[in-house]
Amino acid sequence: MLWYKGWLETRSRFLTCLIVLTAFCGVFVHYAQGFVRPEWSRDFYRLLSIAQEYVVIIWIMSVVLLGMGGLVREMATGTSSLTLSLPVSRAHLLSVRVAVGVLEAITLGVVPWATIFLVSSAGGMPVQFQQVGFYVLLLVGGGLVYFAMAVLVSSLVEGEYTAPAVAFGLVFLAAILFDVWLRSFNLWRLVTGDFYIDRNTYLLPRHFPWKGTAASLVVAASMLIASIRILKEREF
Amino acid sequence: MTNTPVILTRDLTKSYASLKAVQGLNLSVEPNCITAFLGQNGAGKSTTIKMLLGMIRPSSGDGTVLGKRITDAGENREMRRKVAYVAENKPLYGYMSVEQTVRFASSFYPDWRTDVANRLLSQYKLPHRRKVKSLSKGMRTKLALLLAFARRPDLLILDEPSEGLDPVGIEHLLQTLVAQSAEGVSIFFSSHQIAEVERIADHVCILDNGRLLVNASLDRLRQSYRRIDLVFPFPPPEREFRIVGVEKIRINGNEMSVFASMNSEAVVERARNLKVVSVEVAPVGLRDIFLETVKEN
Repeated sequence: MLWYKGWLETRSRFLTCLIVLTAFCGVFVHYAQGFVRPEWSRDFYRLLSIAQEYVVIIWIMSVVLLGMGGLVREMATGTSSLTLSLPVSRAHLLSVRVAVGVLEAITLGVVPWATIFLVSSAGGMPVQFQQVGFYVLLLVGGGLVYFAMAVLVSSLVEGEYTAPAVAFGLVFLAAILFDVWLRSFNLWRLVTGDFYIDRNTYLLPRHFPWKGTAASLVVAASMLIASIRILKEREF
Repeated sequence: MTNTPVILTRDLTKSYASLKAVQGLNLSVEPNCITAFLGQNGAGKSTTIKMLLGMIRPSSGDGTVLGKRITDAGENREMRRKVAYVAENKPLYGYMSVEQTVRFASSFYPDWRTDVANRLLSQYKLPHRRKVKSLSKGMRTKLALLLAFARRPDLLILDEPSEGLDPVGIEHLLQTLVAQSAEGVSIFFSSHQIAEVERIADHVCILDNGRLLVNASLDRLRQSYRRIDLVFPFPPPEREFRIVGVEKIRINGNEMSVFASMNSEAVVERARNLKVVSVEVAPVGLRDIFLETVKEN
């Protein structure tokens, strides 16, 4: 039932984000098809790469919001004593919350791109399925760091508005700092596909960048482990 | 039936910087009893309960609840299977309905008593579909108590359980606590309502400034505490009465009032030796015991 609790806590945020993302993708592709003719597939894929940039922005905002909450927030609202009196470890509580959040984050990556695939197919300009899969894997595999960072922040900061403000601040700061000094490690460019896209065809390559994605997942896992340790030590 | 204390602490201490919230607490709560935990606001009652449930770590000392060490996360988790806790603010998830809350709580306890939950749901007139956030304070308190009673716990820990309840609700709560105790559930509850404590408690612990001042059965307190009013033909010498058990002496002219936790016979004997004019020995209620003990501290 902790899954159910996690779902109830996040469902309004999740559904709102899903509707916004899906509507954006559907409308974007529909209008993109109006701008280009079928034979101009290069331009269409260029538009799709631009779509991915917008999807990434909305997706990151969504997963940061989904990462908010948890025991520290419950402490501020007064419900942590109910949760902590359950015969469940703090690590288990966080793990279930993270699992629910990851499933929602994956859904937020898959459904918008599935929408793009379906709308473009219905309009007679189908996107290659492999391209859709590539974008989704980049988004979810690379982008889960943002979710993990949000979980870490929510384990440290309890304010309803302070925690998301800090998390969003870190997202922007990281994007700027990495682009200036550590461009090859810039997560933003990994997730949007900017590192890998062919500038002539605007198609992503056949081989998926597993190393970069795996490194990103390792960082995400480290942040989640740190969150568990912080929660274990924290007093409520 | 074992006589091992359900709660046992040894030198349990919790400090926040220079503030000592709980100081060297040696608490022993007997099984199958209703034990009241009394203290002023900020006396350290909630801090103690939170330490027992593993929500905060003691600065020093240790303890067991149902034989499980409170400082061991694994043992504490095991212990929480058999302990029902209702916190002071009766926390519940506002986004769940009453029905969802009951279903959620029942999933954690294999011994969940659906019959008890259903009976209390109708008795408390709790609306199944309504969201918890839209319930009144009294309704939330009733729901929190329902979750605790339906779990078939070995130990019930209640922090100010009657707060927010109307007189009918309080009466029902007290009767339910007595019934639970009769079924073998040990009950440990904090309260400011001394009349309630006097009605149902077997044992009383009084905490003040983080220190345990009294830990005795209510019967023993009633038998041993006395207020002795004395009238002398002259101003009485206070130090003659400074003996073991005398907690407080008040002198007003030729009159003297002695508050004693024991040895009231010895006080009367000394008064008689001093040619006392009038002696009146009266039993003391828990309210006076509490107020005098806390004032003295």
